[in-house]
Amino acid sequence: MSTPILEIRRLNKHFGPTYANKNIDFTLKKGEIRGLIGENGSGKSTLISQIAGVQSPDSGEMLVDGKPYSPHSPIDAYDHKISMVLQELGVVGNLPVAANVFLGRTKQFTKYGILNKKKMNRAVAEQFEKWDLPMPPHGKQIGSMMIETRKLIELVRALSVDPDIILLDEITQSLSLNNREKLYELLKRLKDMGRSAILITHDVEEMIEITDTITVLRDGAVVGNLVSAETTPDEIKRMMVGREIEGDLYRSDQSASFDDEVVLSVKNMSVEGELEDITFDVHAGEILGFCGLSDSGIHSVGRAVYGLSKATPDSVYLKAKNLYIKNSTQALKNNVGYVPKDRDTEAMMISDSIRENFTMPSMNELTGPVGFVSPGEMKKLAREMVGKLSVKCESISQQVNALSGGNKQKINLGRWLAKDLKLLILDCPTRGVDVGVKAYIYTLMIEAKKNKIATILISDELPEVLGMADRLIVMKDGKMTGMLKRDEEFTEQAIIGVMI
Amino acid sequence: MKKTRIRIKFQDVVPFVAFFAIFLFFTIMSYDSRSSTFRMLTTLNLSTLVDQTMQTIVVACGALFVVSQGGIDLSVGVNLALSGVIGTWAAHATGMSWLLIPVALGVGLVIGLFNGIIVSKFKVSSFMLTIAMLIGVRGLVNYIQASIQAQRLPTELSFLNGSTIKTIIFIAILLIMGYVFEFTKIGRYSRAIGENETAAKFIGIPVAKMKIIAFALSGLMAGMGAIFSLVTIGSTSQQMGVFLEMRVVMAIFLGGVLVTGGSSAKFYKILLGSFSIQIIINGLALMNKSDSHISQSVQGVLLLLILLVSAIASRKPKRVREMPEDALPVGKA
Repeated sequence: MSTPILEIRRLNKHFGPTYANKNIDFTLKKGEIRGLIGENGSGKSTLISQIAGVQSPDSGEMLVDGKPYSPHSPIDAYDHKISMVLQELGVVGNLPVAANVFLGRTKQFTKYGILNKKKMNRAVAEQFEKWDLPMPPHGKQIGSMMIETRKLIELVRALSVDPDIILLDEITQSLSLNNREKLYELLKRLKDMGRSAILITHDVEEMIEITDTITVLRDGAVVGNLVSAETTPDEIKRMMVGREIEGDLYRSDQSASFDDEVVLSVKNMSVEGELEDITFDVHAGEILGFCGLSDSGIHSVGRAVYGLSKATPDSVYLKAKNLYIKNSTQALKNNVGYVPKDRDTEAMMISDSIRENFTMPSMNELTGPVGFVSPGEMKKLAREMVGKLSVKCESISQQVNALSGGNKQKINLGRWLAKDLKLLILDCPTRGVDVGVKAYIYTLMIEAKKNKIATILISDELPEVLGMADRLIVMKDGKMTGMLKRDEEFTEQAIIGVMI
Repeated sequence: MKKTRIRIKFQDVVPFVAFFAIFLFFTIMSYDSRSSTFRMLTTLNLSTLVDQTMQTIVVACGALFVVSQGGIDLSVGVNLALSGVIGTWAAHATGMSWLLIPVALGVGLVIGLFNGIIVSKFKVSSFMLTIAMLIGVRGLVNYIQASIQAQRLPTELSFLNGSTIKTIIFIAILLIMGYVFEFTKIGRYSRAIGENETAAKFIGIPVAKMKIIAFALSGLMAGMGAIFSLVTIGSTSQQMGVFLEMRVVMAIFLGGVLVTGGSSAKFYKILLGSFSIQIIINGLALMNKSDSHISQSVQGVLLLLILLVSAIASRKPKRVREMPEDALPVGKA
């Protein structure tokens, strides 16, 4: 465990005048699981993508196994036994699972120029089995699959290289609880095999749990190396932001509190192949949590309530407005808001301006006589929200895809808070954001609660739902399996019991 | 302190440069040494040019809505022909010449609504559907045209060819359509759909309704284009609206709207693009009056160039992960 497998010396990378990585020194030993943590924009992803060969450093050197290493592409990295699951490298949507796993490496299954699909499918199945991960259906094209499945496919692709070092950039956020457990197991096995891993996650507790050592980055530079067993979440958070973060992230009160007024009443709602017989009420000022393992259908609940899927007619009753929600347009008009899970593809118009993104849900409110939408009013609203949420940007006409994940998420959520909402549906609102933004999002949720907005909080992160919800619905296979109230019932054990 | 940096996007400059380059080139090429004049700049030619461009702009006003949503309407040419032929026929058959106007607009609108409903309800690609329309409706136009023979514009309506009244109507159309596109929900929603249709739907934008509206406007403006065409030319013909869809589409793209639509769609761009394409057609005609084939080839090459430029321009900019130090939240709380 003492020999270094990867050494990085005085590595620098800048974009324009700003350093993304500043004089990074980094040593990874064989059999070491290293965590990389920092706020959004602290340079973690930049560092990891240079190791993966996606970007090249401006100066500095990297050594693998003592030999100079300067990869020009991920394939180059594969050749050095370094593989990766990055935030956005992704999978090829139009190809089946097997072809994606062995992307660019299908030669081994080819004879006389003909691809032996059976052999390749068998090899893929073996890989999934070897690492104890759920195998997605063979023939299906990947484009139609959930993010989680796609991430798992990428993970298996990375593992199939038989890597000495595996790089994992924010993979846990896309995984549900049961698959996360599998990932932890898998990391342990890799470690036992003498392999190393570098992983990025925003979940500090998780990071301490699964890594050996942690490197903290701030403003592109390494601010500290910690031994996981000897550190605390508070110490890490302090190092990340460079100041003290006060208290707990979540709500401080330990009992449920909300009005008697029912805002939304869902009765016997089913969606074919997704949900069965869902019934619940949400009250004014209540945060109603939904949790469950993958395929439990929690995300479908959000879509169905917002009128995006073919749910049982007249099953979603918006009592506050005395009507049944039939489609998303109607939901938007009647003071309901929805923050979907997959921000870049489902929520944002990423190559459009911040202004457009902020104001799009408020178009009805911004429309004056003769259908006039005043550009001045739009600017005013966007400026106001950018200021209120302190979104880091150059101007409101900047394109959204130039922003960091946390700032994008602030827009994604904040644009709904500009409206006078009755009901807000949040699907994984803190996915892929750092502690600072996370804490801020929770503050916004508490504020919404105070303003008597009913909130549906769907999340893959159990601590988040436990920390924020007044009541909690646990789901399994598209059905509700339990309902718990904040107060004494809220413990992870109690919930996991109902979940499985 | 607040720094305002005006950033001019590459893709926004190209159409202007193209317009001036095209104008300069064809003006110089039109120099006639015998009379030592630029034939491009004669009063007669300029008024012809403006006349032709008006028609393109009117039709492009509507088609822009479809393009901004990431779709395309290739049926505007045949739609214009059908509206014109049926409108004229209705006027003659009933003896009420003013009937031409509502009938032409109505036919255009119906064809547009049909396109919109098929595209939005059956999730058909607008490209394929409107190509089918392009072929099918042209057949219909030819059939009607053959059975009723060429029909002249009713004389009661020829006053519309006066330059003042035409200009007034034209400007009114520009103002109304420009207003709807730039300053109402319909325009903004359309561009949002072009940017990301899934997100638009997830926000609650009525995507299907917006598509129907866009095609309906496109159809209506084709009907309006038919009136302009009839008034200018004086009668229907087999050639009515032939290749107009290409001229309109090229005007929109040459103006700098990306094929994917979205926020690149701006109203002023169709004015710019329409003039550019019309100068090319006019300029080529001036250079070589006898040969119209070469004109088509040049248009083809141009379309290819436009596609290449917009492909390069729409390539995703490298994602900037870190914000510059001086980046400050606008109006910090």
